[in-house]
Amino acid sequence: MKLHIIAANDLMISMRDRNATIFMFLLPMVLISVAGMALGGDYEQNIRIDVLVVNLDNREISEGFMEFLEEINILDVDMESNEFAARDRVKKQEYGILIIIPQDFTESIMTGQDCELMIITDPTKKDQNTVVEQIVKGYASRASTSVVAIKTMAAYGVPVHDEDRISEIVETANQFAEPPPIQVTTENTATTSRKSSPFTQYVPGFAVMFVFFTTIGTGSVSLLKEQESGTLRRLVTAPISKAEILGGKITSTFLRGFIQLTILMIFGHVVFDLYLGSDMMALTLLIATIVLASTGLGLLVAVLVTTREQAESISTMLILTMSAIGGSWWPLFMEPQFMQDLAHITITAWAMDGFHNLLYFDMGLAGILKEVQVLLLMTTIFFGVAIARFKLE
Amino acid sequence: MADYTIITVENLVKQYDGRTAVDDVSFDIKRGEIFGLLGPNGAGKSTIIAILCCLLKATSGRVTIDGFDARRDAGEIKKIIGVVPQEISLYHTLTARENLRFYGKLYGLSGNALKNRVDAVLEMAGLTDRADDRLEGYSGGMKRRINIAVALLHNPEILFLDEPSTGVDPQSRRRIYDTIQELNRQGTTILLTTHQMEDAEKLCHRIAIVDRGQLVALDTLAGLLTLVGESDLIQVMAKEIPPASVESIRQINEVQKVSVDDGSMTIQLVRGRELLTGIVDTLVSGGARVASISIKEPDLETLFLHLTGTKLRR
Repeated sequence: MKLHIIAANDLMISMRDRNATIFMFLLPMVLISVAGMALGGDYEQNIRIDVLVVNLDNREISEGFMEFLEEINILDVDMESNEFAARDRVKKQEYGILIIIPQDFTESIMTGQDCELMIITDPTKKDQNTVVEQIVKGYASRASTSVVAIKTMAAYGVPVHDEDRISEIVETANQFAEPPPIQVTTENTATTSRKSSPFTQYVPGFAVMFVFFTTIGTGSVSLLKEQESGTLRRLVTAPISKAEILGGKITSTFLRGFIQLTILMIFGHVVFDLYLGSDMMALTLLIATIVLASTGLGLLVAVLVTTREQAESISTMLILTMSAIGGSWWPLFMEPQFMQDLAHITITAWAMDGFHNLLYFDMGLAGILKEVQVLLLMTTIFFGVAIARFKLE
Repeated sequence: MADYTIITVENLVKQYDGRTAVDDVSFDIKRGEIFGLLGPNGAGKSTIIAILCCLLKATSGRVTIDGFDARRDAGEIKKIIGVVPQEISLYHTLTARENLRFYGKLYGLSGNALKNRVDAVLEMAGLTDRADDRLEGYSGGMKRRINIAVALLHNPEILFLDEPSTGVDPQSRRRIYDTIQELNRQGTTILLTTHQMEDAEKLCHRIAIVDRGQLVALDTLAGLLTLVGESDLIQVMAKEIPPASVESIRQINEVQKVSVDDGSMTIQLVRGRELLTGIVDTLVSGGARVASISIKEPDLETLFLHLTGTKLRR
C-alpha cells in the first residue's frame, strides 16, 4: 500500500503553506475569543422566554400567580386583557405561549371547586413550551393543595363559608405542602450538568466551522488542484491504484481536520477553562466522526464539480449554510422548531448535539452514540456516492 | 536499435462525446528507437500517448507494450514506462529533491537506492546545486528538466514525452535534447509528441505525422522529405492579403499548395527562388502590405503542408 506516501506528501505541502496554517488555527482562535468574550457573563441569562397572560379573574390568588411568574428570571411576562386578541398574537407568533387565568379563579380555589389554567402554545417552540408548562404545573400543584384541603374540610362538615377561616386553612395546608411531603428526585445517567459559558457554544461552534473549511473547502479543492496542475495525471501513470490515490488524499484531509479540531478544543480548555467532559475517548470518537463525515462531503463536492473555482464557491456556500442553521453561530434551541428539524440534515447540527451532550451534560459515550451513528451514516453516503462517481480519465 | 517491436498500436480509435480524437491509427515502435508523433495542437497526439500510458482507455483497437496489453495489464506496463506530461506536473512549494523523493517512493524506491537515483537524475538534469530549492523559484526550463527527471527515477525501458520542449529557452532545450539522446544511447525507447519541427528533426529516428486524429505519413525524416520532392516553402508576412491575389498565385503552374492565415501566407512550390519576385509583385499590386518574405528548403513544415494542405502551427 502506498496510500501513506501520498498522505505524507499532502501533509508536507499543507505545512509549507503559512497562510493556510494561520487560517486553520489562528483565525478560529481569535474568533472564538472575540465572540465568547463579547457575549460575556452567564450564558443562560441570555435565554429569555416571552409569555403573554390574560387574567380574567384579577383577584388575590390570580394576582399572586402573576407575581410568581414575574419573579422567574427567564420569563418576560406581558399582559393582555382581551382573550381573542391574545390568541391572535400567539397565532401570529408574536408570543410563543399564552396563559389564560379563568374568571372566578380565586373564588373557585377559595370555595374548593375545580378550575383550570389554560396554556396555549405555538407548536414551533417546543422547548420553551415545555419549560413554561412545567412552571405552571408546579404552581397549579401548590394551588391544588389548598383546594383539596378546603374540599376535605367540607366533606367532614367543617363550615367553610367564613373567609377568615378559609384563609387560615389554606395557609396551614400550604405550610404542610412546602416543602412537598413527597419529594421527587431525578437522577440522570449522566453526572450533573456543567455551568454553561459562551465558550461551551463558541469553541465547538467555530472549531467545527473552521474544520469544514479544511475538510470540505481545502479537501475538495486539493483533488481538483492536482487534476488541473497535472500531478494527478502523473500519479495515475505511476504503479499505484485509484484506491490508493483516493485513500491517500482522504487520509491527509482527515488528519489535517482531526488535528485542527483537537487543537482548537484543547485551546478552549486551556485558555477559557472549557470543560471537555470526563470521557476523552468519547470526545475523540466524536471529533473523528465529524471530521470523517465532512471529509466525505468534501470529496463529494470535488467529484460533482469540474473546476477549482466551482469547488471553492460551492464548499463555502455549504459551510456557511450548515454553520448558520446547524448551530455553529448560535445555539440550536434559539431557532424555530422547523429550522431545528431542518438543521439535522447537516453535519453541524449532529456535531453540535454531540458536543452539547459531552461538554454540558457530560453524558459520555452513551450520550453520543446516536450522533456518532448518524455521522457515520452520512460518511458512508458521501464516500459511497463520491467514489462511485470518481473518474481518473 | 534492435528489431524487437516493443510497442504495437493496432487500429486505435478514441471517441469523446461523439467526437473522434484518434481515428484508426496503427504503428509499431522498435526497442531503442526514438519515435516522434508530429502534428499541430489538437491533432490527437496527446490522446494517443495517454492511451499508451494507460491513462485513457481506447474506444477500440489494441495497444501492446513489451507484450503486455494496455487494457488488461496496465499495472505491469506502468512499471516499465516513464511519462513526462506536457504540463509541469510537480509540487511547486516543495524542493526538487522532495518532489523526486515522493515520486521515487511511488515507484517502490527506498533507502539508499532512492537516494542514489535522486542524485543521479538531479545530475542528469544539471540541477544538483539547486536540489534543495523550492520549485517556485525555478525558471520554466529548470522546472521542465525536473519534470523529465521524475520520469527517469525508476530507469524505465520506455519513455513517453509529451511536447518536451514547449515553452523552454534555447539552453534548456539543448539540455533536454542531450538528455533524450543520452537516454536513448543507454537503450531507452522513446516516444515523443511534438508540434515543433526542430524536436522531430533533431531527435527522431522515425516520425509519424498526425492530423485530425489520423496518421497521414510515417517514415524516417529522409524518407518523408522525398514525398515533397524539390519543393520550396515561401512564407509571406503581410497585411490585407487580397483573395484575388491568392487565387492568382494558386493558378501558377509551379505552385502546389497555398495556405493563408491571419497576416501570413505559406506557399509550397517548385523553383521558388525564380518565382519569388513574381509572387511578391502579385501581392503588392493587389494591395497587400508585405512586411517580410522568407524562402525555405524542404522540411517537415513543407511536408506537413504538402500532406494536409494546412500549416503545422495553426
